[in-house]
Amino acid sequence: MKKILIADDEPHVLRVLKLSLEKEGYAVDVCANGKEALTRLEQEHPDILITDIQMPHMTGEELCLHIQQHMPNRNFLIFVLTSRTEIEHREWTRDIPNLLFLEKPVSIRNLVEKLDGYFAGTTDSWRVS
Amino acid sequence: MQLNQRFGLTMIIATLLVMVATVYILFDYQRDSRAELARAQGLDLVRLLSGMSWDELVPRQGSKGLLEILKRGQSNPDFAYGAVVDIDGEVAAEVTRSGVIVPPGDTIDEPTSWLGQRVLTAGIAEHQHYFIESYAPLFEAGVHRGFVRLGYFQPELSLSQYEMPFLATLMLPIFLLVPLFYFMLRREIKPLKQISERFENLAEQVGFNQVELQPSQALSDFMEQFGSYIEATQTRIEVLNREHEDLTMSSKLLTYKNNRVDAILQNFPDAILVIDEAGEVSYANGKIERLLGVEPQAILGKKTREWCDDPQIIPLLTFGDVKSSMQANQDTVQIRLEDHSEKSVQFNVYPLFVPNDETCILGRLVVIRDVSESHLMRQRQTEFISHISHELKTPLNVLSMYSESLLSEGADNEEYRVEAVNVIHDEVERLSTLINNLLAINQYELGGVVAQRKHVRMREFLEDAFKNITQARDDKGLEFDLDIPREMSMVYLDKELFRIAVNNLLTNAIKYNKPGGKVGLSASENEDSIEIVVTDEGYGITESDIKQIFNKFFRSTDDNIRKQTGHGLGLSLAKQIVQMHHGDLTCTSEPGKGSRFVIRLEKVSSQIMDAAS
Repeated sequence: MKKILIADDEPHVLRVLKLSLEKEGYAVDVCANGKEALTRLEQEHPDILITDIQMPHMTGEELCLHIQQHMPNRNFLIFVLTSRTEIEHREWTRDIPNLLFLEKPVSIRNLVEKLDGYFAGTTDSWRVS
Repeated sequence: MQLNQRFGLTMIIATLLVMVATVYILFDYQRDSRAELARAQGLDLVRLLSGMSWDELVPRQGSKGLLEILKRGQSNPDFAYGAVVDIDGEVAAEVTRSGVIVPPGDTIDEPTSWLGQRVLTAGIAEHQHYFIESYAPLFEAGVHRGFVRLGYFQPELSLSQYEMPFLATLMLPIFLLVPLFYFMLRREIKPLKQISERFENLAEQVGFNQVELQPSQALSDFMEQFGSYIEATQTRIEVLNREHEDLTMSSKLLTYKNNRVDAILQNFPDAILVIDEAGEVSYANGKIERLLGVEPQAILGKKTREWCDDPQIIPLLTFGDVKSSMQANQDTVQIRLEDHSEKSVQFNVYPLFVPNDETCILGRLVVIRDVSESHLMRQRQTEFISHISHELKTPLNVLSMYSESLLSEGADNEEYRVEAVNVIHDEVERLSTLINNLLAINQYELGGVVAQRKHVRMREFLEDAFKNITQARDDKGLEFDLDIPREMSMVYLDKELFRIAVNNLLTNAIKYNKPGGKVGLSASENEDSIEIVVTDEGYGITESDIKQIFNKFFRSTDDNIRKQTGHGLGLSLAKQIVQMHHGDLTCTSEPGKGSRFVIRLEKVSSQIMDAAS
């Protein structure tokens, strides 16, 4: 079973995503901020990380940059939930491979399709090394 | 009398004077010559006679003596008498011109004075005569016997009829020369006169008063001319003085203009640098010190590298290739000053072209502007939009997800359906509040909000607000403390607006509190005013932040504060609302211990001031 870790400070989002993705057959773990996510990453080695950007204690941006710096051999894909659509707000991800943006409001069906495609290996266009 | 006539008359008088003087000098000379002749002749003759014997000179009765021969042979018209006298002065023999008496002469005793000359007088009153007498001793057989005396009239100034033709001949050429001289003089004077007339005209043109002169015509002309010349010179001096004054004035004006330009440049809100073609600073105003930390005087004539060591700035103020810098250039850099303050500084570089030739550059004008404020404002706005979009999209996201999941999940899970509907309802509320806040802020900015005031019971109002807030947000184990007097006056205010202000303060007190901390709402009142106090035991606000917390978009850089979502609008909005009610909102805080926000409302004036406005 593929493992997904979700980091978001909005409990409702965590609740719906967890429920929906578990129903699709994924093992879902949730946490409320970047710091917690880092701990879970080391313990559970998920296949996918879904993170919000604006979170207390450690933002999604800080989390991703930290991962990029300290886990050079990571083998999981990162989804970043964002409210912003402008390109300059995505500049910071330029050097981070295997990272995708999910624009809010997020469509669960769309997310599930992407995940399924990723694990089935049918989506090549992703920046997966 | 005309100038020429006066001149002519003067000439005639002068001529007559010359003639009289000439005659006088002539006669005087003639008289002197005659007197000299009388002396010389007399002396010669007495010497001659002195060598003769007494008897030869004193003839016997009836015979003619030598004296008689002398008289007859005498050609000198001035000859008066000749006499032989003995030692006692008695006349022994004499010859005289008719009408002349031999004057008695004093006896001469001293032998050294025996030969000599003297002047004697004879006759009375107007018939008195002066004689030049020469005398010499006479001897007979070596014995002094007496004297021989010869007298001549002492010549006087007189005009004899024989001299008249001579005088006339002398006077005539003089008299004829005068008109000739006069006309020649007139001819000579003519050009001078013309100059005089010109001076006169000049004087009339310049318009000064002529000096009235009475003396002789020529002198008067000369003086007039001279006066004109002096006045013309004075006029010229005046003109020169005026020109000098004008020059001084122009110089002052120039200095003033120069100073004015300098004052303008010095008081220009931005720093100004002029860098010449050689890359050296040729002008810098005082603002440069505040922006770049260098004194304007210290950088004059220096190249950029000599006074600046900031690697960001050097390339902006160094112009190697002329063509590349033909266009105006703009760049913004962040610089750190000596006092560790950071500034956003914008460099605007404009080429200074030679007038009418856009291919030749004299140098560059660099306008350096402190854009820290606008930079900060832009930063805050960007941050604000970022927050707003997050705040807006987060509930949207929840709505989207729940509604989507309802389709699949809600059909057979009643519990989930209820939960989803509740969440959707809450999120819609949250969205609506946020949108209302944003709209309110926008309206205040545009000045479109008019407070709808009513008399409000303060106690009920505060209790209500407090309850709503505390019930909704009790997730930190906070302690809530409400302290409101049982009786409070009615207050005249816009209930809805004022609720936003109080809500924002209370929300902050909860949001930025420490877990287990206390949130307090208290109120008090005296005769004039009402005070509403919101306290917390949160992170507190630093001294530098406290000055800015009421600014729109301001968010503290403190990590603890940053952890909380916020858009930097709450306090700004609260302050605006309180001020609309002619009240004041202030804050005191102690970092680490908590903050205290005080709303102070004037009880009486609120209504009056509202009516006034």
